[in-house]
Amino acid sequence: MILEFERPIRELEERIAELHRLAGPSAGLQAEISRLEGALDTAKRRIYANLSPYQRVQVARHPDRPNFRAYRDVLSDDFYELSGDRFFGDDPAVRGGLARLKRGGHNVVLLGHDKGGDTRSRVKGNFGMAHPEGYRKVKRLYELAGRFGLPIVVLVDTPGAFAGRGGEERGQAWAISADLMALARAPVPVISIIIGEGGSGGALAMCVADYVGMLENSYLSVIAPEACASIIFRDPGRAAEAAEALKLTARDLKQHGIVDEVLPEPLGGAHKEPETAIREVGDALDRVISGLSEADPGALIEARHERYRRIGTHAAGDTG
Amino acid sequence: MDDAGFTKCERCGQPIYEKDLLTRFNVCPHCEFHFPLPAPERIRLLTDSGSFEERDRGMTAGDPLGFEGYEERLSRARMNTGLSDAVVSGVGKIGGRPVALAVMDFRFIGGSMGSVVGERVARTIELASAEGLPLVAVSASGGARMYEGVYSLMQLAKTSVALTRYIEGSLPYVSVLTDPTFGGVTASFATAADVIIAEPGARIGFAGARVIEQTTRERLPEGFQTAEFQRDHGMVDRIVHRLALKGDLERLLGFVA
Repeated sequence: MILEFERPIRELEERIAELHRLAGPSAGLQAEISRLEGALDTAKRRIYANLSPYQRVQVARHPDRPNFRAYRDVLSDDFYELSGDRFFGDDPAVRGGLARLKRGGHNVVLLGHDKGGDTRSRVKGNFGMAHPEGYRKVKRLYELAGRFGLPIVVLVDTPGAFAGRGGEERGQAWAISADLMALARAPVPVISIIIGEGGSGGALAMCVADYVGMLENSYLSVIAPEACASIIFRDPGRAAEAAEALKLTARDLKQHGIVDEVLPEPLGGAHKEPETAIREVGDALDRVISGLSEADPGALIEARHERYRRIGTHAAGDTG
Repeated sequence: MDDAGFTKCERCGQPIYEKDLLTRFNVCPHCEFHFPLPAPERIRLLTDSGSFEERDRGMTAGDPLGFEGYEERLSRARMNTGLSDAVVSGVGKIGGRPVALAVMDFRFIGGSMGSVVGERVARTIELASAEGLPLVAVSASGGARMYEGVYSLMQLAKTSVALTRYIEGSLPYVSVLTDPTFGGVTASFATAADVIIAEPGARIGFAGARVIEQTTRERLPEGFQTAEFQRDHGMVDRIVHRLALKGDLERLLGFVA
């Protein structure tokens, strides 16, 4: 899939490939090829350095973007998956289990939204939109992590909690609320990295954390920009403006003090060089887990409480 | 409502004397339909006369993102409701028993939860802890306040962290869900209670029915997301008529407060 703003890059790449093919072993077209390669490099830097918030949302949603499965497979050398909410079913939109991370050898509970790897698994995983049983499985694993003193590591990548009949019948809101409460009192380090989409409550249920990192082109928002444009501007065509207004990019959220760190992506986005992006996340996880490994459980909960208790902007009134 | 002092019931279509509606706290005398109830009226319904003391009244919303249209929306809501935001909080007595109380008002930007709602709810929870009071929250909300972007999303986390402390103690938290309660409010403090009471017919859920129909093209059953639906699915403890609500809370608090 080629995003609209990637088109000039793709055109240059195609022309360079064409010239290489025409030139064959001879050096006749080398000057032209070099010129185009220079132009390509410039175009990449110009385009990717100036992505608008909505363009970043599109990069975050790119189907080739590395997702939970890729991170899990590269970063852990043993992933012992655990399934089910012990009540209704197993939701493949979120996965979790015990994992040993290659970098640092940390034993953790690793969780994430699973957007799938091909059409079939994407559909099976409901494109990373979990049902209540998914959020209840997640809660079970948060509590299991607490019992065994394992850090909770979450890779967030969801358009949001699923909006559907079954989800409502089984208490979607109740399940999310219970996750927020479970994370708030987890007696172990909670580390969340938003690797793609951070859609509203469905994302927040997995990122009330001691450390929240965001890949450069990921986003975190209270509502999808398209829906926001429909509701606030009464025009779904104004999604780009809504994305701008919502301040949903990693850089904006870092500036607002909502997240701790922006993790750089390779030029053009994580889908251009998945291994580089995955390595970046793996390094951050090792560093953060090592930093929190000696933390006292009570102090962790206290600090997490203070962190979320503080966020908000209001003019101070009388406090009496 | 027209000049003649009559209004028409949304459900049964019968004319109602406005005076009757007022004395029955916006419940239709013909079919018992529960109209939305402004927060000050709700407080008058639930608390012993003259016992309510509002807290944090002067707290006002900021515009953290400089979001187009938010300032206008806020000033219009303030003017139309006389409130400073979508929740009124404080301490009052229910049947002689003091409680910490937070009451939402749907008229104020759809009862949406922004920083002020989150902060007032959190402070009410902390007040209940500090003074050893039962906590009662009455919700009416379309969800998070989009104009505050991620700040509104973070109010779900804020109210949740505050509640985890409160529920470590032995004081009760009672949540009353009224029409409508959705989104970020149901996905945080409104459903994390010891006891959940809902008003008859109130629409309660995560995503609204229209959104679900648009995204899934599913046909939704009659009574989907009503209080009765939620009780039948095990999500709500009791359905209580508005005019019986105060007495019901007194009974409950008699057991656990």
